[in-house]
Amino acid sequence: MAKKSKSRTVAVRLISMAMTGYFRTMIRPRTHRPLSMLKYDPVVKKQVLFLEATKGGRNK
Amino acid sequence: MATPATTLASKLPPRLLSFFARYPPQLYSAAVTPKSEPQSSTKSTTTPLPETSSAIDPSTGESTLPSPYTPNRDAGGHKRPDPSAFSPSKAILATTAEHPNPFLPRKNFRTGKWIGPRVGLRVQAELVKLAAKYDIEELLPAGRKSTEFKETRRAERGLAIKGTGVGQKVKGHKWERTMETRLDDRRKAMMEMPEAIRLWKQRGHGRGWKKWPKR
Repeated sequence: MAKKSKSRTVAVRLISMAMTGYFRTMIRPRTHRPLSMLKYDPVVKKQVLFLEATKGGRNK
Repeated sequence: MATPATTLASKLPPRLLSFFARYPPQLYSAAVTPKSEPQSSTKSTTTPLPETSSAIDPSTGESTLPSPYTPNRDAGGHKRPDPSAFSPSKAILATTAEHPNPFLPRKNFRTGKWIGPRVGLRVQAELVKLAAKYDIEELLPAGRKSTEFKETRRAERGLAIKGTGVGQKVKGHKWERTMETRLDDRRKAMMEMPEAIRLWKQRGHGRGWKKWPKR
């Protein structure tokens, strides 16, 4: 029996680099490079760097 | 010519004046009433030991302070403190036969019955508060409501709340215990943030980024 195919997209978690524990969840294509962006963190009330959290450190 | 005593008396409220008229400080005040023996240090600040009772050993003279933890009645080995044992706080509550302290109950040794205090606890508390306001608390007779008694008993018993004894900490919630380190981390991260953003922009907005956070 054929293996169930993986979905084209994945849901990823972008963690605030201000170490506040705040995060945003986004959907990106599975083959895309990891997401990173400047976004507003309501805890520190500033725009800070958000980086995608790796699941087991498998990001390129 | 007014003496300091009369100028003080003119300032006092009538309630205190009438009390002092009835129970003159030179006969009744805590200062002239001798404290009961043995005299040991009333304000001991040694660390309370967990497994000791509140009784004080008169032979050694050492005060073995009780645990600040509320004793568990179900636990084996817990003994109620001996009510007749000497304690510094009880030594404060002294009375003399010729001038019985109006703040303390008395025992009639002929009938064996107890007579309540001439001044009730509620009125005592009010008088102590009033006297403390005019800074003449030591002129009142010794009683359970006096600051000295309360402080001594607090030192003896500790607070019956876990963690408030000498050398102990209140455990608190986890968020309270970790708050300092978390705020430190955040502060440090925010200090490095402009540099991190500059680096991130320099490396093609994440294209060359190597240090991805772990989930």
